[in-house]
Amino acid sequence: MTPTWLRRGSAASPNSAEPEPAESGTAELDSAEPEPAEPGTPEPGTPEPDSAEPTPVESGTAEPTPAESGASDPEAAAPRPPNGRLRKAALAGTAAVLVFGGCGFFYAAHQLRSEAPARNQALTDTEATTRVVGDVGNALARVFSYTPDGTAAAERSASTVLDGRAARQYETLFARVREDLTDQRVTLSTRAVRTGVIELDGGRARLLVFLDQTSRKGEGDAEATTAAAQLTVTARLDGDQWRIVDIKAR
Amino acid sequence: MRRARILTGTGLALALAFCGTGAWTYTQARTDDALAYGRERDEALADGREGIAVLTTLDAATRQSAERSIRDWRAVSTGPLRKELGDTEAKAGSSARGTVTEAALTALDTRSGTAKLIATVRVDITPAGTAAAERPSTDRKRLEAVLARTDEGEWKVRALSAVPVAEEKGGEER
Repeated sequence: MTPTWLRRGSAASPNSAEPEPAESGTAELDSAEPEPAEPGTPEPGTPEPDSAEPTPVESGTAEPTPAESGASDPEAAAPRPPNGRLRKAALAGTAAVLVFGGCGFFYAAHQLRSEAPARNQALTDTEATTRVVGDVGNALARVFSYTPDGTAAAERSASTVLDGRAARQYETLFARVREDLTDQRVTLSTRAVRTGVIELDGGRARLLVFLDQTSRKGEGDAEATTAAAQLTVTARLDGDQWRIVDIKAR
Repeated sequence: MRRARILTGTGLALALAFCGTGAWTYTQARTDDALAYGRERDEALADGREGIAVLTTLDAATRQSAERSIRDWRAVSTGPLRKELGDTEAKAGSSARGTVTEAALTALDTRSGTAKLIATVRVDITPAGTAAAERPSTDRKRLEAVLARTDEGEWKVRALSAVPVAEEKGGEER
């Protein structure tokens, strides 16, 4: 980078104002004669031919002389004032653009990573998805499966796998049906047949679970009826176990 | 003078490095597999939801509207299901309106462009004829759909079926 600047800076000294007028000169050349090339260039060292082949030839011929002055750097700084400001502005502009662009990139990257699809790890994190599906399926099977004499076991499971609103819901439900259950000798077994994770964000998950619930009244081989149930379950990761905090029937 | 030059040089280099890092971070995020997978999952879910809602809806107030419904079915389905639905005869009768109450993907393979989705649907059925006299009945269904990604990147329903209640064989309890 620096060499370019050096060269341009020093080369600019003789023809600082040169290239532009020369260019415009050529542009006008088509219509007018070489004349216009002159007014903008009062410099003595400039050779005539600008009009024909302006810049490249120019710099080519002008090069050797400034190269010498370029060796002794400080001298090149002499014509700096008018030029230096421009250069400073260009530098500052470049830096600003770069910083700005960098900020833009970082921001865009951040946006990409923080938008909803990225935060939701359902299916993207296979291991976590499998775990929450397994835990929740097991939990539901345990709390909604009981034998007439074994409701205590289900309730005990409930206290470990249910929490928050789900635990309260379960308690009210059980308080209502407990007597009926023992009276009618109801056996219930529940199985999760399909489970889909809707949302999984760190320690929180929402799942859609399809259950088959088979109930049997009385002893022995009484007729069994199987009913379908669909639940939306909200679960929370507690330590290393998922606990159900809310259940909604669908 | 020299110090100023070094300073500007350093400043520029820093700015360049900053911009470069930003660009790299962005590219990284853009091409992140997990992110792309997540986006695909959400697209599949959204398309699948819409597809199921359309497929459980039939406006059969008149023959024309039924035809329109069947055209909609064809638009959201693909493969054998599309063919099957296309053969459906349009005639006036009871109408149904399906609403997906909840849906979730159970599997997604972005490479082959297939996905599985489960959904709960509420279907409001309006009997044919005098609509005002009879109240629409509501049915709740649980469905499973297989989705396939089309060449245009849209997900369409390849198969749709109710998740049946398993036959109980009586050997379940201990």
